[in-house]
Amino acid sequence: MSHFRFEGREISIRPGQTIAAALAEAGELALRDTRSGAPRGVWCGMGVCQDCLVTIDGEENMRACMVKSAPGLTVTRQAFPGQTAARSIGAKPITAGDLQELTPEILVIGGGAGGLSAALSARFAGADVLLIDERSVAGGQYYKQTAEGAGPPLDRQQREGAALVADVMASGVQIMAPADLWGAYAADLFFVTHNHQTYRIKPRQVILATGAYERPWPVPGWTLPGVMTTGAMQTLWRSSRTLPAKRILVAGNGPLNLQVANELAAGGANIVAVSEAAAGPGLRTLGSGLALALSGPALALEGAKLVLALKGRGIALHWATRLVAVEQGLTGLRATLRNQLGQDIFVEADAIALGYGFSPANEIARALGAEHRHDHDKGHLVCVRTAEMETTVPNVFAVGDGCGLGGAPAARSEGLIAGITAAGRLGRSVNVTALAAANADLKRHRRFQKALWRLFDAPEPGLSLCSADTLVCRCEEVTKAALDAALADGSPSIAEVKRRTRMGMGRCQGRNCGPLLVAHLAETQGRPMDEHAYFAPRGPLKPVAIGDIVSAGKPR
Amino acid sequence: MSLPSDIDVVVIGGGIVGLSTARALSTDGRGVLVIDEGRNAGTNANAGSLHVQMQSRFLRMYPDQIGNLEYSLPLYPRAVGAWQQLARDLKADFELKISGGLMVAEDAAQFAFLKEKAERERALGLDVHMLERNELMAIAPYLGDAIYGAELCVTEGKLNPLLANSALRRAVLAQGVVIATETIVSALEQRDAGYLVSTSRGQVRCKTLVLAAGAGTGALSAHLSVVIPTVAEPLHMNVTEATSPLILHLVQHADRMITLKQLGAGQVVIGGGWPARFEGPQAFPTVEPDSLIGNLSLAQHVVPRLSRLRLIRTWAGVNTTCDGQCVLGALPGHANAFVAVPGDAGYTLGPLVGDMAAAIIAGRDPGFDVRPFSASRFA
Ligand SMILES: Cc1cc2nc3c(=O)[nH]c(=O)nc-3n(C[C@H](O)[C@H](O)[C@H](O)COP(=O)(O)OP(=O)(O)OC[C@H]3O[C@@H](n4cnc5c(N)ncnc54)[C@H](O)[C@@H]3O)c2cc1C
Ligand code: FES
Repeated sequence: MSHFRFEGREISIRPGQTIAAALAEAGELALRDTRSGAPRGVWCGMGVCQDCLVTIDGEENMRACMVKSAPGLTVTRQAFPGQTAARSIGAKPITAGDLQELTPEILVIGGGAGGLSAALSARFAGADVLLIDERSVAGGQYYKQTAEGAGPPLDRQQREGAALVADVMASGVQIMAPADLWGAYAADLFFVTHNHQTYRIKPRQVILATGAYERPWPVPGWTLPGVMTTGAMQTLWRSSRTLPAKRILVAGNGPLNLQVANELAAGGANIVAVSEAAAGPGLRTLGSGLALALSGPALALEGAKLVLALKGRGIALHWATRLVAVEQGLTGLRATLRNQLGQDIFVEADAIALGYGFSPANEIARALGAEHRHDHDKGHLVCVRTAEMETTVPNVFAVGDGCGLGGAPAARSEGLIAGITAAGRLGRSVNVTALAAANADLKRHRRFQKALWRLFDAPEPGLSLCSADTLVCRCEEVTKAALDAALADGSPSIAEVKRRTRMGMGRCQGRNCGPLLVAHLAETQGRPMDEHAYFAPRGPLKPVAIGDIVSAGKPR
Repeated sequence: MSLPSDIDVVVIGGGIVGLSTARALSTDGRGVLVIDEGRNAGTNANAGSLHVQMQSRFLRMYPDQIGNLEYSLPLYPRAVGAWQQLARDLKADFELKISGGLMVAEDAAQFAFLKEKAERERALGLDVHMLERNELMAIAPYLGDAIYGAELCVTEGKLNPLLANSALRRAVLAQGVVIATETIVSALEQRDAGYLVSTSRGQVRCKTLVLAAGAGTGALSAHLSVVIPTVAEPLHMNVTEATSPLILHLVQHADRMITLKQLGAGQVVIGGGWPARFEGPQAFPTVEPDSLIGNLSLAQHVVPRLSRLRLIRTWAGVNTTCDGQCVLGALPGHANAFVAVPGDAGYTLGPLVGDMAAAIIAGRDPGFDVRPFSASRFA
C-alpha cells in the first residue's frame, strides 16, 4: 500500500482516493485553521466552499477534495494565512492577445447529466463540441463516477452515468478537464485555465450546464470539521469508497439524504439517525404522493423503497425535525435535532451530513447578463429560457440545475433539447423525433419534480437558528451578531453590507453566504429578491492562481 | 427614510470627500445632511494607496498637466498627515501604514527618468531617494530579477479603505450628521439666499450647498449653470486571497501601469489604472478581461511570488478625472454654494480636501492657496 505524508504522519492511500478522502479515512478531518484559529475541514466536497485547503508539496491553497492522492506527496495543514512559494523570476508580461485561442462550434460548460447529454446530442448532429469540467472525472453530481481503481460501479445510477460518459468519449466530443472556467465576458468570449495554462475560447454557441451546490445551514457549530454536506459525504463514498467516520448522522430536507444514508449504511457506516425537515408521509401530502406515483411510478417506488430500506436497517428516521446545533463533545460531535413542538433529540456522531437543498450555480449565466427571476416556491433564481433552452442572451443556452433545480432526468432531457437546437443553429440537421421525445420526457420529469417538492415541503429557517456567534459567512468568519450590527444603521444595500462586513468577499466568492444574505435583506428590509439582489457576479468565477491566468505557454 | 425639510448644509456626495467635509462642518456646529446615490463611488472601489510622489501614469498620460501636478504636490504629504490625524481622532485601526512607496525601474533609462523626477520632487519638499538594485533588494527582497532599481518615497503608504470608510461613516453618524443613501438628486435651485434640493425621497431646503459628488459633480453643477468637466473613468482592480506578509511597500512602476500592495489582513491588492468600461442601460462599471490579464501579468513580473497566489475578486470602480487638480472653493456666481472634488489620487487627498472645504465655508484659511482650484477656470 502506498502513502503520503501529512503533518509527519504516514497516510495510506487506496486507489481513487482524493487527498480529502485518504485523510478522512485516517481520521484527519481538520485540514486547516482559519484567521481566527478555528479548525476547518471538508464542507461542500465539490470545489465550491474552499474550506478544505491544504498545502501540497509547498503549494498552498489546494482543495483537498479535488486533488488526487499520490504516493510521496507532502501535505500540510494550513495555518492562516498560507505561505507563497519563493521564486525569483516571473513570466514575461503578456497581453490577452498572447493566449491561445480555441474556437469550438459549441462550448458546453459542465459535465453532469445536462452537459453530457447536450454535448452528445450536439455531436451526434455533427457539431464540433468542446466540453469543460472542473473535475477530472465527468459525470457531475448525479452521475458521479467511481474514481479509477476504486472499484466497479455501485449501482444503476453509476452504470447509467458510466454509459453516458463512455458514449460522450466515443462520440468525439473534446473534453478539457479538470479545467476552471473563470471568465465569461460575452457569448463568444470565455477564459479557462487548464493544466496551468489559460485559453481564450470563442465559441459560436454555448450551453451552460453548471449544476448546483448545496445550501449552507447556519446553526451553531455548522463549521466544525466533520460537519459536511450530504453531497460531500456522498462523493467520498461514491467516488473514493471512503467513509469519513464510523458513526454518521444525516440531516436535511429531500430524498437525497435518504438515499445517501442507505448508501453509506450499505457501505458499512453506522447511521445513528436520519433527520428530515418535512412532515413525512401523512394525509397532507397524500395528494402529492399520488401525483408522484402517476408521473414517475418507478422513481416513486424507489422513494418508498428508500424509507423502507432505512427501516429495514433499523435506522431511526425522524420526520419534521431539523438540526439546530452541533457541539464538539469529548467523544464526538453532539447534534441537537428539534421537532415542530420544540422538543429536542440529542444524537452523537463522528461526522454529520447536512443536505438542506441546493442553490443553482448560475454565476456564468448571470455574468453574461442572462435574465433571471426569483422563484418563490424554489426559493432561488431561475434562468429565463425559451422552450429550446436558450437564455435571453442569444446563442447562450442553459440546462439543468444551474437554471433552477429540476433534477438529473430533467437535466438530461434539457441537455438533449439544447444540444440538438444549438447544432441546428449551425446548419446541422435537426432530429425532430428525438427532440419531440425529449420534450415529452421533460414534461413528465418536471411533473415528478413538482410533486416531489410538495412532498418534501418544509419551512425555511433563514438565519433564525443562528446564535449571536454563529457564522453567517464561513469564509470571512462573519457572525450573526456582526451582521446585525452592520444592519443596525440605515438599511444598507447588499453591496454596502458586503463592504461593512466582508460577507461575500471570501474564497467561495459569496456562493455560500450570498443567497442567505439576499433572503435576510428581503425579510428584514423588504428588498426585492430579483437578480439584482445578489452580489454582482464578476471574474474570476473561481479562484485561480495568478501565474496560471497569465500563462500562455506550455505547462509548467 | 424621509429627509429633513430644512437643514443648514446639504452635502451631495457621500464619498471620502463628502463625509470628511460633513464631519468637519458638523464639528463646527452645523446641521448636515449628506445625500448619496449609492452607486459608483470611487471611495468604495479604490485601492487604498496613499500616493505622494508623482504617479508615472499621470505624467505619461497627461504631460500637459505636469505643471498642475507640481503645484499640488505639497498637498500630498499633508494629505497623508490628515489621514494619520483622522486615525487618531477616530481611534480607529484601519490598517494605515506609512510603509514607504517604491516606484521600480527595469532598466537604466527608466531609472534615469525616475532620477530626474525625484530631483524635481525633492525641490518641492518630498522625502524621496534613489535606490540601486542591491540597496533595493535589502529592503524589498520580494521584487523580481527584472527590477533594476527604484525611487523610494518615504511618506507613502496604504490603508484598508473598507475599514476607513466604515470608521468615518460611524463617526459622522455619531456626530449627528444625517446620511441619506440610495437617494437621487433630480434638481437644484437657488431659493431665498439658500437652495432647494429635489430628490427621489422628497425636497430639502438648505442655507449652504456643497457639491462633493466626485465624477457626478459636473452634472450637478450644470443644474446651476456652472461648468465643471468631471469625467467618470472606470478603472480595474484585483485582489488575491490572503497570504503571509510578503509585500511591505506600496509598489509602482516607472513605465507601466501598476500599483501593488498587501493589506494588513494579508490580501494583495493589484491595480494601477487599467481601464474598465461602462455596460448596459445602468452604465454599470464592468471589468475588461484584457485589463485583468495585463495587470496581473505585470504584477507577477514585478513580484514573482504572486504567481502561485490565487486571484479571488476583480471589480471596476469609477474614478473622477478633471485636469489633475482639485476643484475646490466657492461655486462661481452662487452665494453659499461650494464644490469639493479632489485632484489626482483623490482618496489620498480626501480627508484633507474635506477639511479645507469646511475651512473655506467657515471663512477660515484653508492653509493653502486654493485660488488656482476655483471652478472659474472652466468658465
Ligand atoms: C479603482 C480605483 C482605484 C483607486 N485607487 C486609489 C488609490 O489607491 N489611492 C487614491 O488616493 N485614490 C485612488 N482612487 C481615486 C479615488 O478613489 C477617488 O479620487 C476618490 O474616491 C474621490 O472621492 P470623492 O469623495 O470625491 O468621490 P467619490 O468617492 O466618487 O464619491 C462621490 C459620491 O457622490 C455620489 N454622487 C455622484 N453624483 C451624485 C448625485 N447626482 N446625487 C447624489 N449623489 C451623487 C456617488 O454615489 C458617490 O458616493 C481610485 C479610484 C478607483 C476608481
Ligand atoms: S461564505 Fe464564502 S464569502 Fe461568505
